[in-house]
Amino acid sequence: MKKLLIGLYVAITVALLGWAFYQAIYVAPDESTMHEVQRIFYYHVPNAILCFLYFALSLIGSIAYLSWRQSRPDWAQAGDALALSGAEVGVVFCSVVLTTGPLWGRRAWGIWWTWDARLTTTLVLWLIYVSYLLLRRFAAGPQMQTLAAVLGIFGALDVPIVYMSNRWWRTQHPAPVFGGGPDSGIKDPKMLAAFGWNVLAWALWGFLLLALRYHVERQQQKNAALEAKAALEATSA
Amino acid sequence: MDPRAILDHEFVVAAYTITWVIQLGYLAWMGLKWRAQKRDAERLRKPSR
Repeated sequence: MKKLLIGLYVAITVALLGWAFYQAIYVAPDESTMHEVQRIFYYHVPNAILCFLYFALSLIGSIAYLSWRQSRPDWAQAGDALALSGAEVGVVFCSVVLTTGPLWGRRAWGIWWTWDARLTTTLVLWLIYVSYLLLRRFAAGPQMQTLAAVLGIFGALDVPIVYMSNRWWRTQHPAPVFGGGPDSGIKDPKMLAAFGWNVLAWALWGFLLLALRYHVERQQQKNAALEAKAALEATSA
Repeated sequence: MDPRAILDHEFVVAAYTITWVIQLGYLAWMGLKWRAQKRDAERLRKPSR
């Protein structure tokens, strides 16, 4: 039953990704000033929105780990696995944002990169979470998870700064698509539909990656516990 | 065809391709990691001699 449900979820996700691609490329009309290159927006913006969501999940996992590491070690380990999964999937989505953005910028602005507030804060966010993953990969010892959780919490503080950056400061980056004042929002219903389908499809895909990564990390924790137990038995025998 | 439109199209193709390379690359890396974990779990489950 579980396998069937997972298979169904994967099938729906793949179908939705195909449908969202079709909407973005063949159904949504060309934008009047940027023409075809505006279609990058249908991948760039959903990936940006969702990277915030996965970093938020990483924050929840980090807080859970720090809250429960003394009283409920197993819950704390689950929190730590969530924190790692959220950070890793968030970095993947943020990498898409940081590569598709300059491609759009090259055509729209004539430059690949500019040190404006939105771009710089996004790059800093990516670097913080890459540091988080490097810390987890190379640091050893019992303090590693605690240090990673603290870094994860500090890293998440950059998320609202990235979100608000083109509201607080004058930036070259376009104004917010939603919630940016009376002129914001997508007016064309076909463009709005293409955008909405892509947000939904990428969200389902992201949760699939997150669930897989969480499962792998929990398995790794179980293996580490078994190895530690075996080593203890070997030394006491 | 307008050369500007051709270049626009190439940039869109590049952006969509890069997106899929990053996402599927991560999925493949995770698949390898999962396989290694399963192998480790089986090794640890076997009684040591």
